[in-house]
Amino acid sequence: MAVRCRGERADLADAGVEALTTFAQLLVGGLLTGLVFALVAVGLTLVYGVMDVVNFAHGEFLMLAMYATLGLALLGLGPLLGLPLAVIAMFLFGIIVYRVFVRRLLAGPPEATVFGTFGLLVLMQGLAQAVFSSDFLSVPNPPFAGTIRFAGLAVSQASVVEGCGALILTALLFAFVEYTETGRAMRAVAEDRIAATLMGIDVQRINGLAFGIGAACVGAAGALLMLSYPVYPTAGVPFALTAFVVVALGGFGSISGALVAALLVGMLEVFGGFYLSPELKLVPVYLAYLVVVLVRPQGLLGRR
Amino acid sequence: MIALGAIVAAGLVTALGVRDAVALDLVFTLLLYAVLGQSWNWISGYAGNISFGHAIFFGCGAYASALMVTHGLSPWLAIPAGAVAAAALAIVTGFPTLALRGHYFSIATIAVAAIVDALVRTQPWLGRATGFELPIASGWAALQFADKGPYIVLALVLFAAVQIATIALERSRLGYYLRALRANHAAAAAVGIDERSWKLLAFAWSAVIASCAGVLYAQYTLFVDPPSTIALGVSIDIALIGVVGGIGTLWGPAVGALVYVVLAKGVALELGGTGKGYDLVIYGAIICVIAALRPHGIVGTIVDGLRRRRGALELGAAAATGGAA
Amino acid sequence: MLARRLALALATALTLTALPLAPTGAADPPDIVIGSVLPLTGASAQTGAALRTAQLLAQDLINGHVSYPLPMVGKSGLPHLGHARIKLVFADSQGKPDQARAAAEQLITQEHAVALIGCYTSSTTATASQVAERYGIPFLNPDSSAPSLTTRGLKWFFRTTPSDATFADNFFQFFGDLKRTKKIDVKKIAIVGEDGLFGAGAGDAEEALAKKYGYTVVSRIAYTATTTEVNAEVQKVKAAAPDVIMMASYLPDALLFMRGFKDQSVQPQAIMAQDAGFIDPNFVRTEGKDAEGIFTREVFSLDIKHRNHAVPLINQLFELRFSGKPLDGNTARDFMGVLVLADALDRAGSTKPDAIRSALQKTNIPGNLTLMPWKNIQFDASGQNQGGSGIIEQIQDGKYETVWPFDVAVSAPIWPMPAWKH
Repeated sequence: MAVRCRGERADLADAGVEALTTFAQLLVGGLLTGLVFALVAVGLTLVYGVMDVVNFAHGEFLMLAMYATLGLALLGLGPLLGLPLAVIAMFLFGIIVYRVFVRRLLAGPPEATVFGTFGLLVLMQGLAQAVFSSDFLSVPNPPFAGTIRFAGLAVSQASVVEGCGALILTALLFAFVEYTETGRAMRAVAEDRIAATLMGIDVQRINGLAFGIGAACVGAAGALLMLSYPVYPTAGVPFALTAFVVVALGGFGSISGALVAALLVGMLEVFGGFYLSPELKLVPVYLAYLVVVLVRPQGLLGRR
Repeated sequence: MIALGAIVAAGLVTALGVRDAVALDLVFTLLLYAVLGQSWNWISGYAGNISFGHAIFFGCGAYASALMVTHGLSPWLAIPAGAVAAAALAIVTGFPTLALRGHYFSIATIAVAAIVDALVRTQPWLGRATGFELPIASGWAALQFADKGPYIVLALVLFAAVQIATIALERSRLGYYLRALRANHAAAAAVGIDERSWKLLAFAWSAVIASCAGVLYAQYTLFVDPPSTIALGVSIDIALIGVVGGIGTLWGPAVGALVYVVLAKGVALELGGTGKGYDLVIYGAIICVIAALRPHGIVGTIVDGLRRRRGALELGAAAATGGAA
Repeated sequence: MLARRLALALATALTLTALPLAPTGAADPPDIVIGSVLPLTGASAQTGAALRTAQLLAQDLINGHVSYPLPMVGKSGLPHLGHARIKLVFADSQGKPDQARAAAEQLITQEHAVALIGCYTSSTTATASQVAERYGIPFLNPDSSAPSLTTRGLKWFFRTTPSDATFADNFFQFFGDLKRTKKIDVKKIAIVGEDGLFGAGAGDAEEALAKKYGYTVVSRIAYTATTTEVNAEVQKVKAAAPDVIMMASYLPDALLFMRGFKDQSVQPQAIMAQDAGFIDPNFVRTEGKDAEGIFTREVFSLDIKHRNHAVPLINQLFELRFSGKPLDGNTARDFMGVLVLADALDRAGSTKPDAIRSALQKTNIPGNLTLMPWKNIQFDASGQNQGGSGIIEQIQDGKYETVWPFDVAVSAPIWPMPAWKH
């Protein structure tokens, strides 16, 4: 009798430990997933904060950065080595797109930016298909292919690298906006464009820089994502959709908000997938967005 | 109205006279997209809340049709059933979201559409990912025809009805309030215009129109599944038709549909077979150009031009009379 | 439209004036038009282009005079129709069901096709074949696997390819054979698939058959193909501790799952895949050693060349026309589809729809006269070819080796799959 009780208790204890391990694994997975979302979202929120533009082609910028990283990798520069080049290339691309296109959109009615960037989405997807075909392309032999084990949990090295990248990028961007003169100018433009102009700030230049930096952020994101994902013309779409929700949830324009929201979304998706159903795992994410913007229309940490 | 009459007449002649199945198919598709574009226009153009999830209302009608037929009921019932479902969905989702500012609303529509898509894919009674095939039938009772003529007549009726309804909208109190809200939220609220209720009305009606188009689509294509009726891609197509033609204008959606059909089909015919996506490139480029240079869309630009000319004429006349007086 | 009409009129006029210059002699019988609906643009455009090449190759071989051990090849057209040549006319479905419908109608009403072939994706095949049904034109489907296509009660629809049900059955036959020869012990099965038509269809078929054969489905997971992470899914599979995991995934999700299984030490006896992502050339390139031991059902393999020596020859001809890319399951099936239609047309000796349909119903082509690992081609009352079957390959040393059925296998299956190397 005593032996059987102990056996049952041991089984229950085992089950408890297993459930806890699973929970912890999901928690870690959710955090890392959230960090990937943050990686993609920070560039988007900066652009909105400064010039009130949601770049609906954000996913396509990501896709372009991924193709660029692949190209560099095929030339011999692995994703991490190619990252600085990808960042610079995307920065320049962002500035050009702003000068040639987005600036004109800003001069028109408010819906022009929505549809202009949507047109850009369609154009870039079409070009990607025409130039690269719709094949799935991966970086051959990517680094960080291993697993890290600790405390009974396991995570892939690549996702840890991506997570660190996200934190570094967010911190850098935050520091830039808070502590540099250009960053302060951006905040000024974000707060009150007319007053900023009166203060002598060249709004067009700031806008262009913001757009370029936003694109550069996405460049870093694309380079890191190539550690784990193949690229194809519509590869950016699922990341972009989540990024839009993250940015809106965190509050358009708030970098810290984007990080917090991204982590929240990552957890909701992973826990939703396990405790609800994998098919419906995005439902809690979208529901959370709807609830938050209802209760707090400016998002979790947004202004106004 | 004259233009509308001319189009209907031309359409009837086509339906009765032309025998070329391919041409008739183009005409039908054109009319269907024009109706869908107009339904989107009500909420995104006239009300000013740009929706990227409009396909779910189209899906209400299409799925209503599929469900009626597979349960042995008349597809005609799908028209009211789909309309009720679409209106209900619009009200339920619009109530919390229509007061949201700009981009927040657009993303909310994406969120709602994604939830609907996920739910449909998990429900066996909604066909999951497989969708429904409508069995072949013939005759007005079954709302299916071997010949294309009756389909085009129905599409024309729907198109004419929707255009007339839009004219009515422009001249109605609803239309007036919507214009006021678009011009200046704060001022409108100060005068006592309840933004939410009026926009909900517009939203519900736009959903009903889209649903009717959905029923007709299902009875024509005989196949309903999530990717072809409620996916994000379909919502984007609908939105692009509205934008290219001209947001908030009466004839914008029709023109947009014309451009879309000509481009999509024309490019597919000419450049098809290469698998290269050139049609997307052209389409995207046109939208970018329009957005940057002619943001009011094709029709919007024409309207602006006419207004300016009329204004100049009036100024000239006033100057002449003023000078004479 | 108008331009096309004008061009056609001009061409006709020119041809008519040129007639007196044509060599006199017995007039050639008019070409027999077969309409082909394929996704030539859109997401499946690459596959569409490949299928088109395969079909055109078949057309040219039928109209030519070089013989191969294949039906209707090398007879300079259709002998019983005065050596009339067959002519494929293509229309683009754009991968959309409503477009496929329009394309089918165009081929029937404008091009006067006597039969249709197509359309790769099951949803486009569904609508195109309904059009054919309405017009009373035979429709041959060589490449869509949704089981529902032959349960619609259509009279004019014929399908040569096996359906998902047969492919799922192949897995269980394989298990049965291994139980006898290698004494494997498999009881618990996890089914993981994307939630679209492909994954849901394959998963449903697998689940139904698992129950029929007495296996326990310990986990059935459906996920959205575009997902960016699979943490929850992998944890669920891990918790279920299956003996075998059956997967229906595209490439990005397949890679995510492989990663997840490795990291979380999910070690089943075998992973059985349903084509798609797992046979993408990128899969082995990215996974490297981690791909070793994965099984996948396939439709075709160059390994079956000892059944019919035409296999490598046709493969060479195809490679010449398609930038060096070899025949695969899709192109091989489409190639055969055209031959089956030609065979029926010839036996019918007429282009009347009823005659063609009747001839199709009597089709009986032995498996070793095809390019496929099939028993034969013979349609049952619902229009489904009863002699079709898949094969199972396993990734060994980075290559896909045929391991089942044993009479076409070139290598012995490795069971269980090798452990993840950390």
